[in-house]
Amino acid sequence: MNKLALSVAVAASLGIASHSFADGPIDGTIYGKINVSVVNTDENSSDKWKLNSNASRLGVKGKTKITDGLYAVYKAEFEMCVDDGDCKGQTFTQRNIMGGIRGSFGTVWAGKHDSPTKLAQKKIDLFNDLEGDIKNTFEGENRVSNIIAYTSPTVSGFSGTVAMIPGEGADVDGDGIDDTGLTDGMSYSLSYSKDNLYLALASDKDVDSQDLVRMVMQYQMDNLKLGAMYQQNEDNLGTKDESGYFVSAAYKIDKTTLKAQYGFIEDDVDGDEEETLSLGADYKLSKNTKAYIFYTDNTDSEVDSSDDEDSSFGVGMEHKF
Amino acid sequence: MNFTDVKWSGAILSVAILLSGAANSSCDFDTDDADGPDFLDKIIQCEKQQDSRNKSAEASRANNSVRVTKLYGDGSLTASGIIERPVAAAGTLSHHANQSFVARQPYSLRPDAKFEESVTIAIQKLHLEMAHYCAKGWDMQRQWTEANSQQQGDFFLHYQFRCTET
Repeated sequence: MNKLALSVAVAASLGIASHSFADGPIDGTIYGKINVSVVNTDENSSDKWKLNSNASRLGVKGKTKITDGLYAVYKAEFEMCVDDGDCKGQTFTQRNIMGGIRGSFGTVWAGKHDSPTKLAQKKIDLFNDLEGDIKNTFEGENRVSNIIAYTSPTVSGFSGTVAMIPGEGADVDGDGIDDTGLTDGMSYSLSYSKDNLYLALASDKDVDSQDLVRMVMQYQMDNLKLGAMYQQNEDNLGTKDESGYFVSAAYKIDKTTLKAQYGFIEDDVDGDEEETLSLGADYKLSKNTKAYIFYTDNTDSEVDSSDDEDSSFGVGMEHKF
Repeated sequence: MNFTDVKWSGAILSVAILLSGAANSSCDFDTDDADGPDFLDKIIQCEKQQDSRNKSAEASRANNSVRVTKLYGDGSLTASGIIERPVAAAGTLSHHANQSFVARQPYSLRPDAKFEESVTIAIQKLHLEMAHYCAKGWDMQRQWTEANSQQQGDFFLHYQFRCTET
């Protein structure tokens, strides 16, 4: 209890300090979203109802001017579990947290953060954080600890990010030797963005025990937004060598957005396959609030074994602030 | 509540309060932009946008504070470059909601001044002018006196006032 009192006291004292900072060099904003859904999940003919929090979050982000053209940039984001308040045994869990220095040379940043490969996906996943999230089918959707990265300025639509991930004594490449170097894991991305077109090429080396190459495309034509991804990945132990593709489409009609996506990946080592199909619709209630419905079917097919099929349907609402 | 919960709650609360002074900004930053490939650009652009919005708001406030219509002399020079003065027929009442005006009346403190030149009459005339342009009421913003350089002992009494909202 004394520790709680101490935390509140520290918070209060920082609060007093903040009022003197607020008009000064610190520009910060609190942001977040609440995303809850009621979902019926049918796992191999056994169904259950759930209330899901879907990565609801609270964050602060901003920049602080150091000199003309030079800024400190920061972001700290935490997941909060709206459904039961239990985020892996804690009230909040860490999401993307980073700090960096931004200048005309680009940005050097570090923290615990989505890898450049995951960022390169650019939300072509239309059912992100729901049962149809592509992380349930594809590798490469990693939030990485101890990431040290450089992001270039955007020049003629091109931008690149390279990230180093020290192993800090873990065996990240699976060779039986603890890794202690600066570049034990690496992640890169190169993107091009112009008008309604976005293209990206990304790669991981020894990230989450995987080597991976990913290509992403997104294109917007009036009310229609299309996304596509092709990916190849293999694990360090040689037990997995996958390749697959993913496509998505969203069509906006007034306040309603119809959404569909499909992904397929096959393992060349053992012939196993994974498939994901999602259909849904969003209805915009206001600028920051939407209601949605969805249906998702995820299937894992293993050679010489029956398919493992999960299907879900749900309704939910998302409010951003 | 275990210690980990307390620690995280305290940390989050601290950060929230630390930034609460700046968090009232209404930026068009979408929450999902924080996870986008250009999240760094979004942070910089959004806060820059907020800077410019704040500057615009300050400029607007400053503009509003000096946009006062003179009811004497040549009138007021507006942003459009046109000298304007509200026109209202004599003896009528009108109301220019939220508009500010400056009226002035001469008065004299000379020993030989007539009663019609007294400050009492000047105030009476100023109130008639205020009622003429702000029939539903007004806020007095400022009052001051300037000497009449043409005649020693003569002055101009100025009232700056703003018509009420309704």
